[in-house]
Amino acid sequence: MSLSVLEGMGFRVGQALGERLPQETLAFREELDILKFLCKDLWVAVFQKQMDSLRTNHQGTYVLQDNSFPLLIRMAAGLQYLEEAPKFLAFTCGLLRGALSTLGIKSLVTASVASLPTCKFQVVIQKT
Amino acid sequence: MTVHNLYLFDRNGVCLHYSEWHRKKQTGIPKEEEYKLMYGMLFSIRSFVSKMSPLDMKDGFLAFQTSRYKLHYYETPTGIKVVMNTDLGVGPIRDVLHHIYSALYVELVVKNPLCPLGQTVQSELFRSRLDSYVRSLPFFSARAG
Repeated sequence: MSLSVLEGMGFRVGQALGERLPQETLAFREELDILKFLCKDLWVAVFQKQMDSLRTNHQGTYVLQDNSFPLLIRMAAGLQYLEEAPKFLAFTCGLLRGALSTLGIKSLVTASVASLPTCKFQVVIQKT
Repeated sequence: MTVHNLYLFDRNGVCLHYSEWHRKKQTGIPKEEEYKLMYGMLFSIRSFVSKMSPLDMKDGFLAFQTSRYKLHYYETPTGIKVVMNTDLGVGPIRDVLHHIYSALYVELVVKNPLCPLGQTVQSELFRSRLDSYVRSLPFFSARAG
């Protein structure tokens, strides 16, 4: 199964979650609030934990870091299985992209793993 | 008091994992042969114990001991067998062997999509957690007793 198929599935799930999770309509005043929503509410709803760190260059690129990503945590604590790890991140990238899309943001999401179970998701906002 | 070594077998006799901590004497035969010997013995003793039991069997074969070591045995309904050799001072450790199965094998091997079942376990995480767990047991001492 190709990674783009997985990402597509994640996208559809993310779209739905982006629709039904937000509690207050006026909560998102700016882009950063939406990213914070992803790090807190979305992550807690799907993985029962919050994202560990959020960084941005204030120019449309955000890096979300999870130090103990639940899909990787049972696999290894270091470098074993590093090559196969991205397969397990494809769906989650789609999830983030789908949620952002429902909230009106077009983006490109990629993931990288330097050492399990820590992984980083890079969100680049596409300016139309 | 100490732990000598540990074997983990699956239902087909494949040795999934072997670790040793204090073993002064080796069998003198290659490891593959040793695993087969251990598995064959367990298989025979299990069926012997159930056939010859004078009462209805409850837990089946649990352990045997010699004048130098004690072999503890735990089997799951799926045929996963945990075998631990300790020295004689150690009492029943069924709960320890169950923990090795449920909190280590199931959590880190069965739930790991990159670990194929039915083969020797390659996961480093499993190996290191198992090692720390055994070393943390109250009847494990760093010097062989």
